[in-house]
Amino acid sequence: MTTNVSPQRLGTLLVALALLLAPLALTGQDYVLRVLTVGATYAIAVYGMNMILGLTGQLSLAHGGFFGIGVYLVGLLTTDYDWAFWPALLVAVVGTTVVGYVAGVVALRTREEYFAIFTMAMGFIIFLVISRWESVTHAHSGVSGVKYPESLGLLDFSDPMLMYYLVLLFLLGAGYVTYAVRRSGVGRTLIAIRTSEDLARSVGVNVGLNKQLAFAASSTFAGLGGGLFAAVQGFVGPSAASVDLTFEMLMFILVGGMGTVMGPVVGTFLVLFLFEFFQDFEAYRFIVVGPIIVALVIFAPRGIVGYLNAFAGHRRSRGPAGGNETGNRSENRVPDTTTEAKETL
Amino acid sequence: MTLFIQQLFDGLALGGVYCLAAIGLTLVFGVLRIPNLAHGTLYMLGAYVTYFFLVTVGVPYVAAIGLAAVVLAVIGVLLERLVFHPLRNAPHTHHMIAAVGAMFFFQAVAQALWGADFRRMESPISGNVTILGAQVSWQRIVIVVTAVLVLGLLTWFIKRSIHGQTIEAIEQDRTGSSLVGISPSRVSMLTFGLAAALATVAAGLVAPINLLSPTMGDALSLKVFAIIILGGLGSLPGAIVGGFTLALAEVMTSTYVSAAAGEGIAFVVIVIVLAIRPTGLFAKAVQR
Amino acid sequence: MAPTRIRSGTAVAAVCTGLLLATSACGGAGGSGSDTIVIGYSGPLSGGAAAYGQNIQDGLQLAIDDLNERGVTVDGEEYQVELASLDDQYAPNTAATNAQRLAEQDDAAVIYVPHAGGIQAAQELNSNRTEFLLGAYSSDPKIVEQGNELTMMIPPSFKSYVAPFVDKLTQDGESRLGLLGTASEYGQEWTKLVTDEWRGRGGQVLSDNSIDYGTVSDFAGPVSRTLAENPDVIFLGGPSQPTAVIIEEARRQGYDGSFLLMDQAKFEEMEEFTDPENLNDAIGVKPVRAYDDPGTDDILDLYAEKVTEEQPLTSEVTLNYQSVAIVVEAMQQAGSIDDATAIRDAIPDAIGEVDDHFHVSGFPTEITDAGHLRNADLEVAYRTPEGEYEHLPIEQPDE
Repeated sequence: MTTNVSPQRLGTLLVALALLLAPLALTGQDYVLRVLTVGATYAIAVYGMNMILGLTGQLSLAHGGFFGIGVYLVGLLTTDYDWAFWPALLVAVVGTTVVGYVAGVVALRTREEYFAIFTMAMGFIIFLVISRWESVTHAHSGVSGVKYPESLGLLDFSDPMLMYYLVLLFLLGAGYVTYAVRRSGVGRTLIAIRTSEDLARSVGVNVGLNKQLAFAASSTFAGLGGGLFAAVQGFVGPSAASVDLTFEMLMFILVGGMGTVMGPVVGTFLVLFLFEFFQDFEAYRFIVVGPIIVALVIFAPRGIVGYLNAFAGHRRSRGPAGGNETGNRSENRVPDTTTEAKETL
Repeated sequence: MTLFIQQLFDGLALGGVYCLAAIGLTLVFGVLRIPNLAHGTLYMLGAYVTYFFLVTVGVPYVAAIGLAAVVLAVIGVLLERLVFHPLRNAPHTHHMIAAVGAMFFFQAVAQALWGADFRRMESPISGNVTILGAQVSWQRIVIVVTAVLVLGLLTWFIKRSIHGQTIEAIEQDRTGSSLVGISPSRVSMLTFGLAAALATVAAGLVAPINLLSPTMGDALSLKVFAIIILGGLGSLPGAIVGGFTLALAEVMTSTYVSAAAGEGIAFVVIVIVLAIRPTGLFAKAVQR
Repeated sequence: MAPTRIRSGTAVAAVCTGLLLATSACGGAGGSGSDTIVIGYSGPLSGGAAAYGQNIQDGLQLAIDDLNERGVTVDGEEYQVELASLDDQYAPNTAATNAQRLAEQDDAAVIYVPHAGGIQAAQELNSNRTEFLLGAYSSDPKIVEQGNELTMMIPPSFKSYVAPFVDKLTQDGESRLGLLGTASEYGQEWTKLVTDEWRGRGGQVLSDNSIDYGTVSDFAGPVSRTLAENPDVIFLGGPSQPTAVIIEEARRQGYDGSFLLMDQAKFEEMEEFTDPENLNDAIGVKPVRAYDDPGTDDILDLYAEKVTEEQPLTSEVTLNYQSVAIVVEAMQQAGSIDDATAIRDAIPDAIGEVDDHFHVSGFPTEITDAGHLRNADLEVAYRTPEGEYEHLPIEQPDE
């Protein structure tokens, strides 16, 4: 590598290009486009998980629940209350942020495993409310006829390809926010908290407030992803808020690479396609998928992007000194989770 | 009043089940700091292996449970060796995902071996006894009695036997234990084996009053986590108190509020308890 | 450090292979041979409802085998019929994704989905762009009420059962109804209908003790709560096996009233799980073995031979079995294996043309405009307090 283009940039560019061009290569393959679109809505939510888990180091298992709140806010507002999609999406995003903030006030009193279990219980309560509060959510009957986003000018979003690009645009936004946060002082603060809360506190970081904000931001992404998911699907049931979904997202982020910018996208699409591929084995696919997941966690604990970043960083540090190093050297010494490369991708 | 008495006994039986399932998990979680989400599937496997010995092989009920407990202990040790041992230095996020992977695997295997349809396991213990106007089946009384017995034995094992004491030593001070020659690896295997065997005993006792299916452990998994959080990680008396408290809360809420509220009460309890005491009711000083 | 590096390297290689496989899977799987008719199926093949999903799959497969044995000719050309199954674990959204995949990559013109949520999600699809005929196995009438033109509802609507069930069980002035159904989409709709019907006749509906049959560890609690209010009749039902266990528990606690069974629970399956005497004084759907249609005996033998001897054959299998024969006949009538609309339009004519061999358990006599396959002589079964089955004809509401 003697060029100025770092491998990370190149990788990011490739992934972005692949996502942009995918629909053109897939004309007439609406099914693959559907998997991609749904995957992109999940990936947006996974960026939320990245914020609280990847950057701040707090394992929140209420994420599927927040996603479900987004799904149901858009689902119910556009059907029973006949709202237009865009205001409904806005309410979904603001609503989940508020719920996330309030929940965070209590949840963040707990730490580590207790926080994980606490949020898992919260997620389960959200699921129970959605699946049993019949008069409002229609419980198990679900919500059908969720509206497509209203057309903007000439763009008619009932066309799956345009819907895909719309979701992709939001996904890009989520990725950019993550990138910007990682480069900013806020990102360094969060990573400091992940490394050691006590240490962060001792150097004057307001740990409570920062965790609180990260948690609220993570639910914002979940609500956004959920709201878009409802519009993509048209019909939604309580399974869109289940605890299983949380674990699926956790799998996505872990495979992709926690705390990285590209991890959520790569992990989500890869695992989803793996699932689709193994569908041919029907019920027996989990005999294969289960061990693959275990193997990934054991042998590639930093995730694919984390691994590639480290690999690229390693090569560069031996070759000609690479360009812009944004610092964060301290985190490389964290024996803990993800040892990212120096560049923040 | 009869209803109350009836529910009290139903709650106690359910509490016995919860306790047996919870102590295994509290050992693994409390001692090894591994939140083993696959615990429910070990319980499920335990039920199927018991079924295999009882129905397919044809050994007596108690022997079937015993044999199944041995088989599951081996599976527990294998799980520790193959999955959790390589992850011993990884954060709990990785444990959780690995456990989910193991869960997928075990469920698919159970479905491949025994089919997806429900199975019924008859227990030789039948009949009812009327206590203060409430109809209580002998099987449920056996559940409560066994739970108490097993808990007693376990406490004795941990406090008095050499192997058991190593578990407690590791729980109290990992580095110190290694210094005096206790192998964390051995204790780890021992704990996993014990946890799986205990889950099997619970499953073998409960299966006759319910049904066997590859997903029978799913609902239990989450509740058992609620119990050990309530009781405090790694605390045996905590798990017992937590198990019975939660079962009674569940039964009484279903009776006097609504069935849906009963389903959610476990999680409401966790949220309330942790909101007030962020480290659980019976928290001890936990080593980091 | 070195060993770790090597291990990570292998892992990445593994992952890359996975990725390659995945991409090749979505790119290359499409298009089946020109001489096959693919019937698609997306149902729960793993997870809590896997047994149910497999029953449906068995019914479809049995019909397909029988059809192939007899030979299928459409528009002068011979075809082999094939079943393409995907697992959706009962999740509506996965069912829709699967349906789209089956329609596009396997060229399935007919796709079966056996749960109301998945059916509704798939209807969002086939009303828009991907065209396929939806074989909807759910007795929830809602699935044909939304005017989807490419839906074929297979079982009788549960609406038809409620009034006659209540009629039968209130003959001696029973007035208190206990509710103990399963807390699923299905159970919830049933509970609502039974409640309304019961109240409409001036009866008293006691508190709702619906529980999720799949997640409750001990049924004694919910049962004793229901019994504490002294019901004359208990409404319950979900999958047959837990339903049988709940009935047994109720009898054990001394209940001697009647049971009103949701159509998901089948007498023939419950008899295997509990002493049949516990089921006395209960009303539910008619067991398959009680039919004397031309093909009934054959399918009973075939099921025991090809699928399992351990479980009884139920209408979950036979209703789907019959409907595949209708759909394939409709393809022959329409002279097309891929035009979903033409196939749907040919069903009314096809119904009368299906070979007697496929008439096994109340073969449909008509398809309503809304797309519901119906048999004019629908009967239900009442198990008397003496343990005999009585069959009662019932009226089906207009649609």
